[in-house]
Amino acid sequence: MILLCRLALLVSLIAANLAWAAHSFENTAIVRTVELGGASVHVVTTYAVKALEPKSSVYTIALSPNEHEKTSWLEVRQKGQQVALSLQPVLLDTANNLYLYRAELPKQLAINETTNLIVETVQTHATYPWPEQAEQGDEQALKYETDLYVLSPYKTSVQRTKIRTLSPRIISYTTPEGIDFTTDNPVTKSGATITYGPYHNIPASSTLEFVQQHQKHITAHYNHDFPCAEIATLKRAAEISHWGANLNIQDEIVLHNAGPTLKGHFSRLQFQSQTFYNRPSPTILNWFTLHLPAGIRNVYYYDLIGNVSTSRLRTAPSVPKTLSGNPNQYSVMEVRPRYPLLGGWNYTFTLGWDAPLADSTSFDSKTGKYIVGVPVMTVIPDAVVDDAEVKIVLPEGATDVEFFPPFPAKNTTISTHVTYLDTVGRPAVTFHYERLTDKHSGIIYVTYKVPFSAHLRKPLAVAAGLIGVFVLSMGWRRVDMRLDTKQKL
Amino acid sequence: MSDYSAIQTLYKSATPFSPYISVGLLPYLAFVLLSGTFALAFYFSTLPKTVLPVHETLIATLASILGGFGVVALFNSVGVYV
Repeated sequence: MILLCRLALLVSLIAANLAWAAHSFENTAIVRTVELGGASVHVVTTYAVKALEPKSSVYTIALSPNEHEKTSWLEVRQKGQQVALSLQPVLLDTANNLYLYRAELPKQLAINETTNLIVETVQTHATYPWPEQAEQGDEQALKYETDLYVLSPYKTSVQRTKIRTLSPRIISYTTPEGIDFTTDNPVTKSGATITYGPYHNIPASSTLEFVQQHQKHITAHYNHDFPCAEIATLKRAAEISHWGANLNIQDEIVLHNAGPTLKGHFSRLQFQSQTFYNRPSPTILNWFTLHLPAGIRNVYYYDLIGNVSTSRLRTAPSVPKTLSGNPNQYSVMEVRPRYPLLGGWNYTFTLGWDAPLADSTSFDSKTGKYIVGVPVMTVIPDAVVDDAEVKIVLPEGATDVEFFPPFPAKNTTISTHVTYLDTVGRPAVTFHYERLTDKHSGIIYVTYKVPFSAHLRKPLAVAAGLIGVFVLSMGWRRVDMRLDTKQKL
Repeated sequence: MSDYSAIQTLYKSATPFSPYISVGLLPYLAFVLLSGTFALAFYFSTLPKTVLPVHETLIATLASILGGFGVVALFNSVGVYV
């Protein structure tokens, strides 16, 4: 009963807030551009906003539950600025079944002052292959579904949605009927762009009545000429060695082809002739390129069977970690799985390398702390990582461990990792992420302190082992192990 | 977020990591230390058996310490970065 009261209070607060928020802005124009890819979809929505009240600084963006579930990255920027605006925690408007994101503008707007807000989101698992099964040499077609109107708690003067595909071969798209907000053609297509709009004078649309009366579903069915790569699980382990001045990064990846599943059998003959005549089928994931850090050495690539030799690596020389170093150097690795991945197939492999520790770790002599920066993942463009675990293993005896992930993790644990020549084990920080996209290419920073005595732990542990051997031999020499004492020693 | 950008600037401005013993030196160090260990172990085996093994213990300790550092240097020079 109390819970219901609290819920009602919360909802009424939200509704009251909403009513307050609805009056302080007006959207002069909204343009939503949907870039359709394979596994991930980039949506950029530009709001041209006019403040209706003095000192307006909080702008509300509404997302339907479907969109909120698919969105795995959202950033709001003011046009012309590079820094993202800070977002308040997401609110669920239960009365209207919408998720509200509130962005705080850095500078308050005076009455009738305008600004442009750019909202970039990345949606994962928003497209699905249609037809769901395809034979080996068939085309790959994907379907994307979304809602027609961009919802907003403020009045909108004009609104457009553009759906863009990578290739101009669009099979079909929905033509909405019964649109009240325009008298022209509700949808037009030119080349690889489908434009829904412009729709004029839309009232505050983040209400249940608007959604029920006016909101329409639109679907785009298009040909996609590149294989849809998806990483089902990623396990990254970064191990730091102070004695060897080395950072070892190892990725265990389960790669999945998220295109239409294979119908019939895989014909090696047909596949060979396809590759020979250089007509790559978009349903087959044959090889992909990875951008690994500069200065790596001892790269290994193996799977359950053993080493995989079908890869090419071109390393870039090591870039010392200084302010003036060029951060855009990278090593290029062309990776070809052991077998071509047809639709629905998986491939598990391990890829790892060593890098000099000076490239990724620095020492702050004022506080005596070491700071290490480990990238969250190696980004494969347009691929989605469903489940990621990043484990950073610090040297033995590390204390005062603090970590700074670029975006909050679902789960963070600190554990002890035991490996060669360890006595007490090394502290390890594990971050658990879900649904990472190519926008999640951040660096996790971990700071720690290692006293000098902890550095000596390993040699002294080995020395203790050797002393044990010597003591045993001292004892052995002094004991008579002869069976027949009359024999000379 | 300001925490993150603060640590990022600190990371970029601090001095890069440098080990106490430079890595290029490690293979040679491993060779010298381990040959010292083996030599001392051989000498240890020729020592007379006394009641109070003072000399033997001294040699054993010296050989173990040399061996400890030598093994760590050896591990690092063959690619097992401990």
